[in-house]
Amino acid sequence: MYDILDGLINSTLGFGWPSWLISLIGYVLVATLLFAVAPFQMLFFTYYERRAIARMQDRIGPNRVGPEGIFQPIADGVKMFTKEDIVPDAADKRVHLLAPIVVVAPTMFMFAVLPWGPGMVPVDLNTGLLFFFAISSISAVGLMMAGWASNNKFALLGAMRAVAQMVSYEIPAVLSLLAIVMMTGTLSVVSLINAQGGLFISTNDVAGVPDLGLGWLIFTPVGLLAFMCFFIAALAEGERTPFDIPEADSEIVAGYMTEYSGMKFGLFYLAQYILNFLLCAIAAVIFFGGWQGPGVGWLYGMAISPTNPDGSWIFNLLAGVLGVFYFLAKTYFFFFVMIWIRGAYPRLRVDQLMDFGWKFLIPLTLVNVFSAAIWVAVTSWGVADGFGLVEGWSPMLRWGVAFVTTLVLNGAAYVIVARIYNSAQAARNRFDVDELRESLALPR
Amino acid sequence: MTITIQRGEVVEVARGSQRRRAVPGMGLLDSLGVVWKHWRESFRQNRDFSDIHGTFTEQYPDERPNLPEAYRNMPILLFDDETGHEFCTSCFQCQRICPPQVIHMTQAKDTTTGKAVPSVAEFIIEYDACMSCGFCAEVCPFDAIKMDHHFELSTSDHASLTVHKQELNRPVSYYQSIAPTLWEEAKAGAYKKLQGNIKRRPDVIGIAPHLVDRIAARRAELAAAAAAAPPPPPTAPAAPPAAAPPAEARKLTPEEKAAKLAAIKAANTAKQSGATPAETPPAAAELSPAEAKAAKLAAIRAANTAKQAGTVPAAEVPPAPVDEKAAKLAAIRAANAAKQAGTAPAAEVPPAEPAPVDEKAAKLAAIRAANAAKKAAAEDNETERN
Ligand code: SF4
Ligand code: SF4
Repeated sequence: MYDILDGLINSTLGFGWPSWLISLIGYVLVATLLFAVAPFQMLFFTYYERRAIARMQDRIGPNRVGPEGIFQPIADGVKMFTKEDIVPDAADKRVHLLAPIVVVAPTMFMFAVLPWGPGMVPVDLNTGLLFFFAISSISAVGLMMAGWASNNKFALLGAMRAVAQMVSYEIPAVLSLLAIVMMTGTLSVVSLINAQGGLFISTNDVAGVPDLGLGWLIFTPVGLLAFMCFFIAALAEGERTPFDIPEADSEIVAGYMTEYSGMKFGLFYLAQYILNFLLCAIAAVIFFGGWQGPGVGWLYGMAISPTNPDGSWIFNLLAGVLGVFYFLAKTYFFFFVMIWIRGAYPRLRVDQLMDFGWKFLIPLTLVNVFSAAIWVAVTSWGVADGFGLVEGWSPMLRWGVAFVTTLVLNGAAYVIVARIYNSAQAARNRFDVDELRESLALPR
Repeated sequence: MTITIQRGEVVEVARGSQRRRAVPGMGLLDSLGVVWKHWRESFRQNRDFSDIHGTFTEQYPDERPNLPEAYRNMPILLFDDETGHEFCTSCFQCQRICPPQVIHMTQAKDTTTGKAVPSVAEFIIEYDACMSCGFCAEVCPFDAIKMDHHFELSTSDHASLTVHKQELNRPVSYYQSIAPTLWEEAKAGAYKKLQGNIKRRPDVIGIAPHLVDRIAARRAELAAAAAAAPPPPPTAPAAPPAAAPPAEARKLTPEEKAAKLAAIKAANTAKQSGATPAETPPAAAELSPAEAKAAKLAAIRAANTAKQAGTVPAAEVPPAPVDEKAAKLAAIRAANAAKQAGTAPAAEVPPAEPAPVDEKAAKLAAIRAANAAKKAAAEDNETERN
């Protein structure tokens, strides 16, 4: 952004403004854009979800407001705005008011490090990933505030569940990202994407492959397992089925949102859908190369960028459009998968949720970290690191060995952990049934 | 795989192939596959329910639903297209069975005799509380109440959901159009019973009240029938001219009834006084001139009424049975009166003065006839205003 504005104002128009002013203008512009885009994404997602889930249930979904019902979310928004805002008498009024704000604000922060296209990232933090996940857990505080301040047993139960779930599932999510960080050696979201250029054999490690923007981490065994674990954890963090326990409407009304109405409720809704969008987006960025795709790298090579200040702005535009297209296509696809999962699976029980997180996902992600270490050792270590064995191998061979080793390791780990988990669950179910029988004094 | 459950039934459960289940998590993928298939197939319309996939949705306000015949929403009342007669006989079966007790009705009464007629004067269903169970339609022995297909009942006016007979009435042809085979089954029995009931409905009672021209036509018919009958003897004092012009025809019938009533009463009284217990000397022997007059008058009246009554349903029924009926009725009444008189303390009727009784009775009859005539006139005015 800075480069484009600099090029436009100082070079093309020749104003010679100071760089801080250009930065300021750039940030204000970007912030404004993001605040306009985020609610729009939320509106679209509500419509998208309703239509998609309807199709999975052999229905059509909302199709009466506007062509194919596209204005349905706007009608819903108007409804939200015009509803009465009810605060319970027994509520802690100030906390009750603050809670939705505390929930929404972090989701907006998370946009700061989200790259939309080549060169289109609001802030390129070198700890972008860390920032993203650190900020996302702040909303758990807001949820607890909402549940506590409402002075309602369902709200409190929902909030407890939400916090327990978020805290538990952040561990597998971050552990699976740890493997990725080890492989790419960076915490910056932008360099993470840059590392996913090239062909799908490996990342950019192998010299001489054309840059088709297909070096996505999902094509490596480490990345695949990390993606699976991360996506499941993301479902839990975004409170999507089968982990929608905090707002299980058949059990605890609406969880922490029970006592909210009108636009405050709307804010929770907004936060949730934006969080879902962000989780889908970050999954696309980390494992599916974000804006990477055939053609983007080539176009961006000819555009104005820090490394190439003499490029043409038209290529900025083209690369941007294509990059954003790829990025959004991937993001929407992941959201579709979330809906798909919602259509297929029932809700878990709280104890099952905890079991799954602690006894299945965390062991798997730990194994995956180990695999990532092997990957790094085989593909990039040498004599200097005390691993002279691979020194003489060609890059292709190194890549192949790393791929096969990690594939076998991860596959075996998955099957073993899953089986142990299965039999443990089955044994526990039997135990539960026995206990039930005893308590009811039923004959065996 | 089969599972045997306690009652001994065997349930076949189709499981996925066991080999694929060797890898954990494959069952989850299978279920995703099921949902995927539904999603993909849902872009195809499926209107013949040929399989479990496809979209079955009807775009309701644009597309009208194709309701099955036995669909039931709210009850309606049927009336015959030709005669305009309502099938309902006010038997109260539906009111009795209705679980939320939302059916209310008043039975029609003969305005002159005050006797109940197999027809309904007012019929109310509270649609707002009706639960569309269809019990009323099931239980109705006359096929008078049926379940409608019309379901767009939303209103901003709660009171309008208390529906009266006027709005409940539908012609048979309407019901036939929504449920042809169901009506075909019920038709013969319904009409047979209706014919029987029409015979017992005097005047225009039982004709759907909104069919104004039908009622007028029926009244004209009655008047014409009355006109065709021989004029009453000029000596009839209380009875209005029976051969009134058609304009008067509407008043004719109630007055006739009144006259009939008066005559019967007079006759009864005469008989009563004649048949009082043995202490009374034979009436004929000591008849005063007044008595004789009164008796004569009563006799003339009775004769007139009988004649008139005979001509009333002339269109449909041969006069003889009616005459017979009337005679029978009179006989029964007389017998009753005699019994009553017999059981009553003798002091009530002073045996020595039968004359004043007769006079009184005659006077009473005259007053009653006048009242009835007035009332009929008032009612007529009212209906005209309406
Ligand atoms: S349908 Fe059922 S509830 Fe409704 S009026 Fe008839 S008997 Fe009553
Ligand atoms: S509708 Fe049928 S059941 Fe109800 S009172 Fe009339 S004849 Fe009887």
